[in-house]
Amino acid sequence: MDTLINVAHGFGVALLPINLLYCFIGVFIGTLVGVLPGIGPISAMSLLLPITLSGTPESGIIMMAGIYYGSMYGGSTTSILVNIPGEAASVVTCIDGHQMAKQGRAGPALGIAAFGSFIAGTFALVALMLVAPKLASIAIAFGPAEYFSLMVLGLVVLTFLTQGSMAKALLMACVGVVLGLIGLDSITAQPRLTFGRVELIDGIGLVPVVMGLFGIAEVLLNTEQVIKRDIINTRITHLLPSRADWKASAGPMSRGTIMGFLLGILPGGGAVVASFGSYALEKRLSKTPERFGNGAIEGVAGPEAANNAAAGGAFIPLMTLGIPPNVVMALLLGAFVIHGLQPGPLMITQNPGLFWGIVASMYIGNLMLLVLNLPMIGMWVQLLKLPYNILFPLIILFTIIGVYCSSNNVFDVYVMIAFGVIGYFMRKLGYEPAPLVLAFVLGPMLENNLRKSLILSQGNLTTFIERPISAACLALAIVLLVSPLLPAMRKKRELVALDEGA
Amino acid sequence: MPRPSHLAIAIAAFMLMSASAGAQEYPTKPITLIVPWPAGGSTDISMRAIAESASKVLGQPIAIDNKAGGSGTVGPATMAAAAKPDGYTIAQIPITVFRLPLMQEVSWNPDKDFTYIIHLTGYTFGVTTSAESPFKTWQDVVDYAKQNPGKVTYATPGAGTSLHIGMEQIASMAGIKLTQVPFKGGAETNAAVLGQHTMLQADSTGWRPLVDAGKLRLLMVWTSARSPNYPDVPTLKELGYPMVYDSPFGIAGPKGMDPKIVAKLHDAFKKALEDPAVIATLAKFDMVPNYKNTEDYKKFVAEITESERKVIDRLGLAKKTN
Amino acid sequence: MSNDSDVKFRLNNSELWGGLIGLALGGFVIWSGLKLKLGTINDPGSGYVLFYTGILMCLFAAAIIIAALAEGGPSFGSRWQNTRWTKPVIVIACLVAFAFSLDTFGFLLSSIPLMVLLLRLIDPVRWQLTIPIALLVPLGMWWILKRLLLIQLPSGIFEIG
Repeated sequence: MDTLINVAHGFGVALLPINLLYCFIGVFIGTLVGVLPGIGPISAMSLLLPITLSGTPESGIIMMAGIYYGSMYGGSTTSILVNIPGEAASVVTCIDGHQMAKQGRAGPALGIAAFGSFIAGTFALVALMLVAPKLASIAIAFGPAEYFSLMVLGLVVLTFLTQGSMAKALLMACVGVVLGLIGLDSITAQPRLTFGRVELIDGIGLVPVVMGLFGIAEVLLNTEQVIKRDIINTRITHLLPSRADWKASAGPMSRGTIMGFLLGILPGGGAVVASFGSYALEKRLSKTPERFGNGAIEGVAGPEAANNAAAGGAFIPLMTLGIPPNVVMALLLGAFVIHGLQPGPLMITQNPGLFWGIVASMYIGNLMLLVLNLPMIGMWVQLLKLPYNILFPLIILFTIIGVYCSSNNVFDVYVMIAFGVIGYFMRKLGYEPAPLVLAFVLGPMLENNLRKSLILSQGNLTTFIERPISAACLALAIVLLVSPLLPAMRKKRELVALDEGA
Repeated sequence: MPRPSHLAIAIAAFMLMSASAGAQEYPTKPITLIVPWPAGGSTDISMRAIAESASKVLGQPIAIDNKAGGSGTVGPATMAAAAKPDGYTIAQIPITVFRLPLMQEVSWNPDKDFTYIIHLTGYTFGVTTSAESPFKTWQDVVDYAKQNPGKVTYATPGAGTSLHIGMEQIASMAGIKLTQVPFKGGAETNAAVLGQHTMLQADSTGWRPLVDAGKLRLLMVWTSARSPNYPDVPTLKELGYPMVYDSPFGIAGPKGMDPKIVAKLHDAFKKALEDPAVIATLAKFDMVPNYKNTEDYKKFVAEITESERKVIDRLGLAKKTN
Repeated sequence: MSNDSDVKFRLNNSELWGGLIGLALGGFVIWSGLKLKLGTINDPGSGYVLFYTGILMCLFAAAIIIAALAEGGPSFGSRWQNTRWTKPVIVIACLVAFAFSLDTFGFLLSSIPLMVLLLRLIDPVRWQLTIPIALLVPLGMWWILKRLLLIQLPSGIFEIG
């Protein structure tokens, strides 16, 4: 009963006109930065932080939270339409989402992404209200050894994202890890693989790598096609998902939501691991795994639900322990503290109005996002009607501007062009870019946690199998790695590979 | 991975002061302040408060760029290597910037690669353990460590930080052996000690809400006198280690900055240190302003490098001469 | 399919070359790891993970090479069969030229010619459309970024933009 009273109280706070306004501004800016490739929620939030200081703490934090989940919504749009993921968590959405768009099904893809996000977001909030304090222990149950094993599992799972040769996918994952380690060592501050270039001291940026491998490489691949295309503007039949789409997506969405919520609680990498974990799971469960990579709606619904649920789960360690699980949450923590509040075990009891108000406003924000995004689907789909010979130069120009603006650095434009060329040859030779990008994100975390756990265990490798969570992750990874080698599975994979070759 | 996007900076700049365009004098665009610690820790939050106040004086937003790693040296090292000395990129300079070059090969030279601007404040450090841990006092830790050399693990915000050096000094005085596990900052060490992945945590006051809530137990503080917030917790001196650690820090830019720009930044940050809102935020972390002007800060750098050299030599952590 | 589309020991087996490049990269990573010091297993150094990742890369690359030798693979020719391979080459050349001119000539003087080239060379757009698009889109973006968002795109030696 207490919960109900609290929720009612929370809605009282969230429905104040001023808070509604802040919430709207937040989700609007969030959608915008999510759609624009190269600009993520982190930079937008860190710059808007000072502005929120003028109002009440509730308003400020409601707006910041709005930017965060708004950008999670917006991120899927560019992935689906032009195959450029706005951030790491939407790399997976590209794989099937863009294929759907090519087949004239951009509308259902965008629609299912929006609904999936809404449903997952709603579930995550309800769960946040009911079980937040109890789940806090998950966040701290993960020490260096557990993270290492989770990252290994993540890297293994991502080979499921690709079709064809597993050796190639694993090789790409290794290349990604190495690229991620370029720059100063996070423990000893030694420069690694920088070839004496000062630009590389800071490491290679995610944005130029992603834009090159996906955006530029996609354009290069398309230009060599003898144009039978107009594919995109041939038949855009439905703008919204059909009944069959819904039926196919219901399972993936609910599984993605639960997985995303639980992984979102973990500090670091939760949303990314959740999004491609969900993809791998759906591909594994599907009776027709060969459809994945060729425009399967399940491959959009699951990961999109997962990354939005993860956004909700991420609030748990922050609100209950004061431990921010990712940079975005850390910025929110900063906002709390500057307003004179200290998130931690005491906050929910000491400041119920604030906590419940924020949760209620997130629900309202999710609703606003749905209302804001559905009418825009029609507009986005129209964009694809531009003739390709005008669209491609425009995509190139926008990626250049996006990359430059993300760092104000001409060097990053060179990096993007280089990765565009590399990505083109990779794709021609059957090497997929998705494992590379995800390993690029996970690699540095993998290294750091491996080194910490070895220090902790004094070089004893059994630490990884003695700890139950870690052992479970590794066992699952081994099962996934070995199962394709079994004859039955092998046949299945070859079928898929043949399909791709055609 | 993410860097501050200048587009986003600009959105903020635009919203902040769409009216005040046209001023040709420095600063004419947003300033980036590199904080070499993860977002959400005590340094990050206090620097944000200071920057927010200073940006009002300067009339341009100051964007915080969290570049964590290498015990707080990755950020300043990147700035020294890559940023232009135009006053639009500055960094928080933790004490490790002076200490690490004494311990290993590094890519920067603290005497030559920075233009020091202003000295700001220092930390309150403390050692905590999980509330469920059998360690009730520091003596329990020492007793346990004597029986199990090297088994006691402690989380620090990085190798070579004052926390690491301090713990090693304490260990050598107490005749025990401890194992350091380097994390990137307070948010991570909090989680590590809460989940009992490490037995102890040595960090600045980011642990405060968890100690207040009874989830962590504070074993000692490294200030000269007891903290008014925790009158029952002994200081290092009281435990028989005649030391005080506060790791003072300030800000600097890349080498070769125009003195006029340095003076402008100095004045703005000095004003910020006097701002009651900033003082209140600092107080949350048991920090007090410790102002030094540009000249004094430079002298202080030389002094601190010398005193650090002695400590490092004594602990046998100095880099092999070559 | 022509009969050179599936080759084993032939030098134009594209799978083989992909594997060899992987092997070379792996070797380089191992070497870098060794140079950065492995450290000990109780306290791994900067090169520790690089070294082992390099070994893994070599293993995977070897698997690819073995598969290429045993099962054969498509030749380079077949990969590019029925494609207009000149088009990507042209686009890449334009991008490289753009990259070189960006710092020197600035955003506007580089991107307007880039747009003209791309619009005319991929699949020619009518001049009546090419000129306005190539002029207006970069100019528009530049104006929005500079005036509304206060972002300075590179202006180059002529200080245009």
